[in-house]
Amino acid sequence: MNTDVELDVWREQWQADGAVPLNLRRNVERQSRLMRIGLICDTLVTIVMGGGTTVLALRSPESDFVLVAVATWLFLAVAWAVVLTANRGLWAPSAIDTATFVELSVRRCRSVLTTIWFAAGLFLCEVVFGLGWAYNHAIKGHATWWSWLFFSSLRIDIVWVCTLAFFVAIVWYRRKKRAELACLLELRREIAGPIGPRR
Amino acid sequence: MLNRASLDRALLEQYFERILAANGPALSRLAASYTNTLSDRDDLLQEIAVAIWQALPRFRGECSERTFAFRIAHNRGITHLTRARTRTSGSIEDEEIEVRDPAPGPESDLAQRQRADRLKQAVHRLPVAYRQVIMLTLEGLGYSEISEVLGISESNVGVRLNRARQLLHDLLENWK
Repeated sequence: MNTDVELDVWREQWQADGAVPLNLRRNVERQSRLMRIGLICDTLVTIVMGGGTTVLALRSPESDFVLVAVATWLFLAVAWAVVLTANRGLWAPSAIDTATFVELSVRRCRSVLTTIWFAAGLFLCEVVFGLGWAYNHAIKGHATWWSWLFFSSLRIDIVWVCTLAFFVAIVWYRRKKRAELACLLELRREIAGPIGPRR
Repeated sequence: MLNRASLDRALLEQYFERILAANGPALSRLAASYTNTLSDRDDLLQEIAVAIWQALPRFRGECSERTFAFRIAHNRGITHLTRARTRTSGSIEDEEIEVRDPAPGPESDLAQRQRADRLKQAVHRLPVAYRQVIMLTLEGLGYSEISEVLGISESNVGVRLNRARQLLHDLLENWK
């Protein structure tokens, strides 16, 4: 068959199908709403945590609460600064060409992998600060500090469970991102230049 | 009285509807070539539509609407492929793809459908670089538009298209 005729036949066969789900428009609206809520949540966490500790500091007669408020704002500021620095230059409209998009995705993935270590470090600092502050305000009477740290109250136990869950999640997320980076690098190789067929 | 924001939104919605109406079926086919099942195709198509909707306010007409929509669609497709390969830790393209049940009708229709499904399967088995070029060609895009969508030179488009056609021809021949 003549190659151009063949291409026309393929084109006709290819374009014969192309069903668009009827509820697509409604789903787009719902999804956009959910994404907006997700964006608001990040800001809300900052406002609730920072604002909450500030209100507590203003209302409480103990000067120690000022320390908590300052530390909370400091942690939040460091977190935002690192996230914004890590994402600098990584934002681009989604309508960029495919080659540039893959390149950008690789850089984004590498940036996330770097930020993960920072997140782990920051969380650890927060836990150490929080527990240190709580220990100073705890009712004395425990034989040793470590007995207080592990067996004193349900609230402390919850901190440990959350810490454990956080680090498990971090390890899982890092593995996922590393696998994603490997896939992206492979895709970049595939897309970068004509290669032989997969056998 | 309509304020400016709601007027802008109404215009954007109109614009969005127009892009979907003009390119919806093509975007659905494109989504299908990056996925293995019909439900995955619908999910990816929804992601593509959301991405188009979000990118629309920043679209200043630097390229045609079709190029704009296809760029976003391919980028979402690449993201989907990355996620799918990460999940399965390898290629998902060699897996059998799900096609719709043939609707009852004359035998000639059935044969045509089977040929179309075989073509889809064959396109799906091509390496990504060739798949993208042949898909856009089958959608009726020219060299320059394909080069704009993919970010490769026109001569590269030509080289890839020739190779893709040869591979596709061989795959379909082997199926017979």
